Amino acid sequence: MRLSVDLAPQRKFGLTLINPVMTASGTFSNGIEYRKVFDTDRLGGIVSKGTTLRPRKGNAQFRTAETAAGMLNSIGFQNIGVRALVEQVAPVWASWRVPVAVNILGDTPGEYAELARTLDGVPGVAALELNISCPNLELGGMEYGVDCDAAAEVTAVCLRATQLPVIVKLTPNVTDIASIARAVESAGADAVCVANTLLGMAIDTHTRRPVLGRGFGGLSGPAVKPVILRQVYQVAGAVAIPIIASGGVMTGQDAVEYLMAGATAVQVGTATFTNPLAPLTVLNGLERWMQDSGEEDVRNLVGAARSIPAATHRLRTAAGS
Amino acid sequence: MKQVTARVLECRSLYRDTFVLWLEAPEIARRARPGQFVMLRCGEGYDPLLPRALSIYRVRDGDGGPELGLLLEVVGRGTDWLSRRVAGDTVALFGPLGHGFTVRSASTNLLLVGGGIGVAPLVWLADEEVARGRSITLLLGARSAAYLYPALLLPPEVELVTATDDGSAGHHGFVTQLLPRFAPWSDQIFACGPAPMFQAMTAPLRAVQYRKSCQVLLEQRMACGTGICYSCAVETRRHGMKLICKDGPRFELRDVYA
Ligand SMILES: Cc1cc2nc3c(=O)[nH]c(=O)nc-3n(C[C@H](O)[C@H](O)[C@H](O)COP(=O)(O)OP(=O)(O)OC[C@H]3O[C@@H](n4cnc5c(N)ncnc54)[C@H](O)[C@@H]3O)c2cc1C
Ligand SMILES: Cc1cc2nc3c(=O)[nH]c(=O)nc-3n(C[C@H](O)[C@H](O)[C@H](O)COP(=O)(O)O)c2cc1C
Ligand code: FES
Repeated sequence: MRLSVDLAPQRKFGLTLINPVMTASGTFSNGIEYRKVFDTDRLGGIVSKGTTLRPRKGNAQFRTAETAAGMLNSIGFQNIGVRALVEQVAPVWASWRVPVAVNILGDTPGEYAELARTLDGVPGVAALELNISCPNLELGGMEYGVDCDAAAEVTAVCLRATQLPVIVKLTPNVTDIASIARAVESAGADAVCVANTLLGMAIDTHTRRPVLGRGFGGLSGPAVKPVILRQVYQVAGAVAIPIIASGGVMTGQDAVEYLMAGATAVQVGTATFTNPLAPLTVLNGLERWMQDSGEEDVRNLVGAARSIPAATHRLRTAAGS
Repeated sequence: MKQVTARVLECRSLYRDTFVLWLEAPEIARRARPGQFVMLRCGEGYDPLLPRALSIYRVRDGDGGPELGLLLEVVGRGTDWLSRRVAGDTVALFGPLGHGFTVRSASTNLLLVGGGIGVAPLVWLADEEVARGRSITLLLGARSAAYLYPALLLPPEVELVTATDDGSAGHHGFVTQLLPRFAPWSDQIFACGPAPMFQAMTAPLRAVQYRKSCQVLLEQRMACGTGICYSCAVETRRHGMKLICKDGPRFELRDVYA
């Protein structure tokens, strides 16, 4: 059975994962804690915590709130900063078999570029994942991810600053995610991750206040899956680069659905909070699904549920005319 | 940390809104120390989604190895679901998690301070340290007499001093008001309760110039319980940002509360 996939097929050396199951940024810390919990080298990939140029303390409490079949978070990117990451954490990653992508975010395109430059060529760092669901201070605090030009610009500055494959993680909080995906593809992105969390909130009727210290937070977990599945399907119709799906992957069945919608890989996030072995549960479930349905190559699943692939459709029309 | 599906051995009401849940989870019970906790799923589907943190209340010997006891106050849907388990049901949990209390070998007089359900992790500490021959005084505060942990369930060697908000039992007022009387006697303090209790401990301890160790078990909204989500962060005075689940839940009082 072939499980391996390539997330950067345009590159000479690609970004090969032994299987399509990764962990999602901010839901696996930097991967070190769970070395003792399960064999993380069995995973296709790990994505680091959101990393910024300088260390951040993160947001005030409460930082999470449970919602119906989901949760909200506003952690606020508490992290040790890129320099400490390079000095203390990357050397640990360098001894692992599983590739690690660093999730980065900046306040300005210049900060993204500096992050990308700092991480370029660092042993243990296999790729960058740009988190563009954060405010661009140069654009008056508008999120990069909601604007085609801003998203393309930040992608381009990172690509110029590093040789590493660049994954752009899109925000789902837009009216037309396909156009953002197209913009970052044109800017040269190797892959897109669909998607970050959906903006939401919860209110405590007892205190008459929002539950989260910051008011709003990102919704994740099984509750978001139908929305993100639709967005993966839409993006798959718009771009040719690989898509990584992120949103409520709890089981192998969820992974299969995302692959069929057009994703090449999936990320497991919130599921790991409910079941520490969730990434393995998803991987084992995917393998079992393939065995049961006699599928030999995971790549055959990619886009399998897309009604009529556009290219085939055109060929048929041509043949019929 | 072990993840297990444990059989419920016993679940019964002990006092107002509070239940004891005994689980067959020898892999966890064997490794656990007083002050550590577990994360429990409260249902089988995706709702409620997140596991709940519960301190390890007691460990006892059973036929199939050590048994894990939890003391839970019903405050919402998760704890309500847990309180309705019956013998033979199963629950999914993982643990033991975090760092428990550390008792210095030179300490002979231990002062335990519990507020409300905060008594849970102190009972096992009392069990173990009484067995080691240490002197234990437990100061216990609750809303009213009905919410007080029953004295009969403690080892007889433990001196129990109670306080209630409404005066229905023991001292009329907060448990922290008892500190000036007992702190000077103690070699170490161990406390668990709501955040306002910890805050209220600082002034009386300062007043008696208490310079010894006062270990507190902190509580915060958790999602993972294992250091991967950063939900439970707390800013410490001397060691910067820490995660309660991974670096705690045990902290020195003076490192968190001024
Ligand atoms: C380390 C630790 C040890 C604990 N030990 C015990 C114990 O031994 N016995 C006991 O009865 N309770 C204990 N608690 C509190 C217990 O976790 C909460 O009462 C429980 O999560 C409430 O869940 P619920 O679904 O009943 O309430 P809901 O209010 O419906 O819960 C909604 C969400 O908020 C979270 N939440 C609500 N209250 C708390 C709280 N006080 N602390 C943390 N998260 C909360 C829940 O986990 C859930 O995600 C402990 C908490 C922590 C962090
Ligand atoms: C607690 C928490 C922290 C997160 N932190 C980040 C982050 O730092 N960077 C990022 O790009 N996404 C972050 N995310 C989003 C996840 O990576 C993931 O895209 C999202 O949770 C949806 O997947 P899920 O439903 O499987 O959790 C975070 C999510 C959660 C729940
Ligand atoms: S609860 Fe997730 S880091 Fe502490």
